[in-house]
Amino acid sequence: MSEPIIAATGLTKRFGTFTAVDALTLAVEPGAIFAFLGANGSGKSTTIRMLIGLLVPTAGTIRVDGIDVIATPRRVRDRIGYMGQKVSLYQGITLRENVEFYAGLYGIDGAALERRWGAVRERFALRDAEGERPESLPAGLRQRAGLALATLHEPRLLFLDEPTAGVDVASRDLFWQIIQDEADAGRTVFVTTHFLEEADYCDQISFIADGRLVANATPEELRAAHSDGYRIDVEAPLAAGALARLAAAGFSATHNGDALTLRRPQIDAPSLDALAAALGPAAIGGLRIEQPAMNDIFTRLIERTQVTAP
Amino acid sequence: MSAAPTLAGAAPEIDLAQLVKRYGRKHALEGVDLQLTGAQLVGVVGPDGAGKTTLLRAIAGLLEVEAQRANVLGFDLRGDVRALKAQVGYVPQLFALNRELSVIENLRFTGKLHRIATGVFERRAEELLARTALAPFADRPTGALSGGMKQKLAVANALLPEPALLVLDECTAGVDVVARAEIAALLAARRGETLVLLSTSYLDEAASCDRLVYLDAGRVLATGTPAELSAQVRVELYRAWAAAPRAIAAAARALPYVVAVRTSGRYARVEVAAERSPGAARVIADLAAIGGVRVVELRPLDMETTLLALARSGARA
Repeated sequence: MSEPIIAATGLTKRFGTFTAVDALTLAVEPGAIFAFLGANGSGKSTTIRMLIGLLVPTAGTIRVDGIDVIATPRRVRDRIGYMGQKVSLYQGITLRENVEFYAGLYGIDGAALERRWGAVRERFALRDAEGERPESLPAGLRQRAGLALATLHEPRLLFLDEPTAGVDVASRDLFWQIIQDEADAGRTVFVTTHFLEEADYCDQISFIADGRLVANATPEELRAAHSDGYRIDVEAPLAAGALARLAAAGFSATHNGDALTLRRPQIDAPSLDALAAALGPAAIGGLRIEQPAMNDIFTRLIERTQVTAP
Repeated sequence: MSAAPTLAGAAPEIDLAQLVKRYGRKHALEGVDLQLTGAQLVGVVGPDGAGKTTLLRAIAGLLEVEAQRANVLGFDLRGDVRALKAQVGYVPQLFALNRELSVIENLRFTGKLHRIATGVFERRAEELLARTALAPFADRPTGALSGGMKQKLAVANALLPEPALLVLDECTAGVDVVARAEIAALLAARRGETLVLLSTSYLDEAASCDRLVYLDAGRVLATGTPAELSAQVRVELYRAWAAAPRAIAAAARALPYVVAVRTSGRYARVEVAAERSPGAARVIADLAAIGGVRVVELRPLDMETTLLALARSGARA
């Protein structure tokens, strides 16, 4: 395992007698898409503001890309791009003028600006929006423009706080393609969302409730721990000896006449191999996989923490 | 509460023909035709900028409009709509209750506006606070509530007068899954009594509506139950399962009949244009031939595929 690019230990923030974030420990691998989830008011935005050096914690340590954020908050700003729930584009001036303003803050101008903005504009499909003022753009396009500005200085990390709230399905689809491309190019993405299907687009999920970490796992580990697991209805004939091999790979099988139903808490690489082998090449499409929905998993997690809360 | 005297027989509660709304030279609504009858949950969906907010505001009697017909609950939107407004609950995108007042004070204010008798108010308010889990926060200043709590209160407040028509504009944007479920339960409790129109970006909320109105560029592009909308869409949906689905996306995208590919967890979801599809068996074989793919499913169309396909056909038009 590589050194985490974001490492927070014992992170705590109190406002008077109210503890917004309570001894939170986080570790994010470089190049990962990291989902930071929780109910409204659970402390997500407070945590992000501490991680990017905008808010001083009451206690704890933070290292982002090797920098001690609490000791030297200004040093981290060149390494990160941030996009909040309300996109920080200036109204009354065009997107292009916003670009020039933000680039100026990072000392980017001339040929370097043209090269970087040119590339970002194409990747984010913003050519037609360049001459428009932000207030006249639809929400999805405005969010994409905000993300484009956050990546202009080529940061190593992106912090995105509910970037897709209130954005239509087609814009969300494009937005996540861009996020996955950014991650594939080596950028680390730290993202919050209430569209829980988006949790499955992420490599790692931390879930907080009342400022405390209650789960930290991959999407599949969450399914295994907090759902009834996968249900797979097999319609195609199985290869010889397949049931024994499936059982060895952790599937449980129930027969109902000719119909076969398999169950497994999670799907991983070996279990997919076992499924493919059991079906054989001719019958590879002869099944229906029902995956536990992230909505249900998070409802369970929230309700569990509400029951056990003091 | 008694029904509106104008709500006679089986007349549609909402009957719009060629409804137009202009802002200067810009047309926000380009001629909307819409008939809705009976208490039901109706989702207004479509791309950002399609005119959803304008349509909802028009139906709530908040805009001056032009139309061939513009009847809502028996009132003409082109005339005096003061009596209509008394029967409509409206929750705008931006939180609009008084932040200085407490939760219960906001409800009490609404109760007084609608002249709800004290005993009736106490009973309804207690029930609404219980359903939204806001009872422990009844005395908290509204401005100090979390975003989810504010939205729950906004919907509860709009339901307090038991309106015949409830209009909710993206009232769950940025709201967590449990608070959304509580809002859904509030609406379900009024099923059969209130016509609810809501716009939403959440796929599960759209899928749970009785009926959807798909709006694009100021026009109604499609209406029907979620299943009827899916049946109109000429797309096949496949899932190719692999240990590392991001690695197979490019190869899937290169297939000539594939419209879109997006990876999620352990699979790539692959959309195929029905008119170019070589048939499910061939698509499954082609996807299975991509290195790393283990199994392939042909899926029934879900809400995401349906709305994406409608968005593409809207963009083409």
